[in-house]
Amino acid sequence: MPVSLIVGTKKGAAILTSDKNRRNWSSDFALKGWPVTASARDEGGRYYAAVANDVFGPAIFVSDDLKEWKQLETAPRFNPGDKGNEQHIRIAGAADFMGRYKDSPRLVDQIWTLHAAHGAVYAGTSEAGLFATRDRGKSWEPVSGFNDHPNRDKWEPGFGGLCAHTILSDPKNPNRMWVGVSSSGFFRTDDGGKTWNEKSKGVNQDVGICVHHVTHDPANPDVLFRQDHRGVYRSDDAGDTWIVTENGLPGGELSDGHKCSFGFAIAMDRKSSSVFIAPLEGDNFRLPHNGQLAIYKSNDKGANWQPRKSGLPSNCYSGVLRGAMTTDQLDPGGIYFGTSSGTIYASTDVGESWIEVASELPRIMSVEAYAT
Amino acid sequence: MIRVRVPPVLRAVTGGARVLEAEGGTVREVFEDLARKHPALGLHLFDERSGIRRNIICVHRDYVVRAGEMAGRAVDEGEELILANAFAGG
Repeated sequence: MPVSLIVGTKKGAAILTSDKNRRNWSSDFALKGWPVTASARDEGGRYYAAVANDVFGPAIFVSDDLKEWKQLETAPRFNPGDKGNEQHIRIAGAADFMGRYKDSPRLVDQIWTLHAAHGAVYAGTSEAGLFATRDRGKSWEPVSGFNDHPNRDKWEPGFGGLCAHTILSDPKNPNRMWVGVSSSGFFRTDDGGKTWNEKSKGVNQDVGICVHHVTHDPANPDVLFRQDHRGVYRSDDAGDTWIVTENGLPGGELSDGHKCSFGFAIAMDRKSSSVFIAPLEGDNFRLPHNGQLAIYKSNDKGANWQPRKSGLPSNCYSGVLRGAMTTDQLDPGGIYFGTSSGTIYASTDVGESWIEVASELPRIMSVEAYAT
Repeated sequence: MIRVRVPPVLRAVTGGARVLEAEGGTVREVFEDLARKHPALGLHLFDERSGIRRNIICVHRDYVVRAGEMAGRAVDEGEELILANAFAGG
């Protein structure tokens, strides 16, 4: 079955489409000039691409054919009176030469993730927020239980700001969802978004709760795999408790001397239940270990990890960003990731070997795969 | 009527239009009229609090008008504004 990738880059979206064997790929480039931060496809087959321009702000484009894109007339937005997080404003408003942010507004400056579930499309934003559209983008509603979380005034941003970057859902239980926020925690709702509880018991929290990315198999949604700032973890109980799962991963030293496996991207192939991560050399360097680009694979729920580097370059000094690795859920599973220096790699044998699909793209911020 | 030149990156929002027409006695009023006529474009001009996005600039009579000056910058019928962005880097 052919696959299309929406590759979100700093200057537009590369649309890569394969033949039925996923060996030969054609490419197109859309949304030129717009940083493309996330994409999703809804249950009706409509594609959504989030953009965020430093000057002109965030928005969402939609397409029914991956060729013609039209911007929605609405976008996720906070209520005008919402008070913002002062630390996030300090980060996001670093160039605030006009003093516009003195009254600490809460503004959506980027859409970090899009997630289709239960007839809706959800958007996770920075400043951290959760929004949903149930009419294919005609309107966006805030998920108030999350956006007005009672502990929100204690939330703290990571170095990239206070962002809601990960959304997961339970296909059988529309009342349960998870949202990851850097660096304030991994939140779960069991009542359809009215209340959210932070779920990081067992995760090292010495520098806040800096969840980087989380994945799971929707068919077995309570088993979660988590790449944190301070290590790799698994939960078998929907996030209530976590255990470290780093056997076989390359360790690294963080700024404060803590040793763990650092990275951002994590993805799961549902057919094989294999999990994939892209370790980086600590939070200072954020480069592949020893210049060898490698994806680590676990076939046993994270108990053990093995490097997979066939087809991947040595002398490589670019990383894999949080949203830049994904899977196509075909059989055998296709795994795809993009680097910060603009190369896309694909595996059609569940991560055992890799081929270069595209290169010379701008910095890759997001990759999503869609079987077509 | 005021003519507003649209930068290339925003032409994906305006259906390819390079120039739009709007009415208003100040730069801000012109932008408000643009947002009414073109809601998708309006998202890029104004934030949640109806503030003009902080890094937008426009050129009016060879003067670079910053976001904070737009409400007080008067424009005359028939004039042109060049909508731009304070881009830097490669």
